[in-house]
Amino acid sequence: MDGVFGNLMLGFSVALQPSVLAYAFAGCVIGTLVGMLPGLGPLAGISLLLPATFGLTATNAIVMLAGIYYGAMYGGSTTSILMRIPGEAASVMTCIDGYAMTQRGRAGPALAIAAIGSFIAGTLSVVALMFLAPTLASFALRFGPPEYTALLLMGFFVLSYMSGGSMPKTLAMAAVGLLLGMIGIDAMSGYTRFSYGLIELADGIGIVPVAVGLFGLSEILLTAGQPTPPAIQRPTLRQLIPSLEELRLSIGPITRGSFVGFMIGIIPGSAHIISSFVSYGIERRMSNHPERFGNGAIEGVAGPESANNAAATGAFVPMLALGIPTGPITAVMLAAIMVHGISPGPLLITQQPELFWGFVASMYVGNVVLLILNLPLVGLFVNLLRIPYSYLYPAILCFCILGVYSVSNSVVDVWIMLGMGAFGYVLRKTGFEPAPIALGLVLSPMLELSVRQSLAMSGGSYGIFFDRPLAIAMFVVAGMLILLGLKTLVFKSKDWREKVGLEEEA
Amino acid sequence: MSVTDAPQVSAAPRGVRSDLVAGMVIVLVALLVGWENRAYPIGSLAEPGPGYMPLLIAGALGVFGVLIALRAGTSPLFNTIVWSESRRGIVMLIACGVAVFALERIGYRLTMIVLLVFMLGVVERKRPVPTLLVAVGFAFLSYYLFATLLKVQLPRGPWGL
Repeated sequence: MDGVFGNLMLGFSVALQPSVLAYAFAGCVIGTLVGMLPGLGPLAGISLLLPATFGLTATNAIVMLAGIYYGAMYGGSTTSILMRIPGEAASVMTCIDGYAMTQRGRAGPALAIAAIGSFIAGTLSVVALMFLAPTLASFALRFGPPEYTALLLMGFFVLSYMSGGSMPKTLAMAAVGLLLGMIGIDAMSGYTRFSYGLIELADGIGIVPVAVGLFGLSEILLTAGQPTPPAIQRPTLRQLIPSLEELRLSIGPITRGSFVGFMIGIIPGSAHIISSFVSYGIERRMSNHPERFGNGAIEGVAGPESANNAAATGAFVPMLALGIPTGPITAVMLAAIMVHGISPGPLLITQQPELFWGFVASMYVGNVVLLILNLPLVGLFVNLLRIPYSYLYPAILCFCILGVYSVSNSVVDVWIMLGMGAFGYVLRKTGFEPAPIALGLVLSPMLELSVRQSLAMSGGSYGIFFDRPLAIAMFVVAGMLILLGLKTLVFKSKDWREKVGLEEEA
Repeated sequence: MSVTDAPQVSAAPRGVRSDLVAGMVIVLVALLVGWENRAYPIGSLAEPGPGYMPLLIAGALGVFGVLIALRAGTSPLFNTIVWSESRRGIVMLIACGVAVFALERIGYRLTMIVLLVFMLGVVERKRPVPTLLVAVGFAFLSYYLFATLLKVQLPRGPWGL
């Protein structure tokens, strides 16, 4: 314990240096703006700013990029609540009840609870990161290919059961994402699959064009033609204060969201996206009045917002302790560290204590900065959204093109984004969720590798997945979720999602 | 069926359910992937080839498509889905497509100016002066921010624009 606090003091001595503070602040501001602008998620924001960090020290670079990451988590809630436009994918669930609260004139408390929940979750998960990183890292080290396969499949089934759409629809979208992830060179055999002679496709389809297309462009396609553009409320400081009842109702979701988000965050995948889905499902499941969800339940804002911030921090555990990226965002951040000649992994903490503990301490500082940005200054940030929508959306469209093109200077990526935008539009019109596609795309290489390695290890026997206790436990959970899903198919009964009306709203 | 049921049945809305259409499309996509996957070796269970996982996932996709189609009864009728935004959406996508085609030929700034002038002036019918100001301002400011300050490589066109 003394060692941890000693190290934390070392971290604060680094994090409170003026240059580190300045970059943490800059990262938080940029992240908040990036999170607010539809179509520009944290991944695009971090990718755009990656070249700008090459001239910085490793600590400044990682502190700024981390600020953008969790700043976007905070900022994404603002557009979700005020305009029903998720600034980034993790804010999709916040749209449902956050926007319903806005329509009822409770935008202020929704924004406040989102910011408070994000702050508490962010702080709690930094504490957890500090104390639990070594234990969790050693636990994750026990995972072999069969456990990874079970973990990833369980993740898909949890997502499909907990998310708003019907189970087959969600799983179908996840399968589409998995298939998209198989385009390009097969890592094990060297075959180039489904590229149809396009050299750009040999490296596979990137997450940035798919995510920007599915979430950013499709949203613009849906909203640009509205006869009445989305009205934007700008709550005053006084209107931000939640009622005692709203605070009471939020305590449980924030606590659960922090725990669930952090735990999901350390699992490979688009943790911040899945955590908000799972948190929303849990809150709805636990509520005595699930019918309130979708109509402005504060728990539907507090839980997912806490969860996605906790997951953003949780994702740093395997990244820092093991050098394993849990998703595309942490992969980009790892690249930023490696540019400075630092090898992330178990030795990072002992060999680069200033970097590790400075980074941890900067997250405390960043959370305070973000609380300040997102509560008293929310009115200032909302000014950005007061630009008439007819001017805003063409500019966002240009940002989408700019952001996607600049990741790898490829027009093919922009074509993919346009295709995904049209696809996302059709999906939304026909009641399909696009989020599992993004998740499937990211997890596809990992799932394929783990399945093929597992089969190779066992000499072609699927029994290997049922020989290991950890894998069995995860498959049991997945199997139970399948049975629950099948129950509604066989008996034509309504499941909990339909009973509470989630299918219609998501 | 009782006699009194007949008018109710005839009064019920008719047409194809949206999930039936979606399920059939998904099954077709799964079949297409399976067909295209013939080019890659499946391998054996002990040594799965590059075609193994795509086939497995395509199979799963097909099953999900069938399940979606079977459960289509609760979904809305396909012809009741309102596509009111689609015309504007198609115009936007075509404009973006032209912009992507032009991006590396006439450069980032000119492309953005043309795209914004079209979107604001033609699609949104804004007045010419604000349209031009926004288009030129956005193109040059965003170029300065990303290409000059952040060193992001953006294409240049004629006259260095």
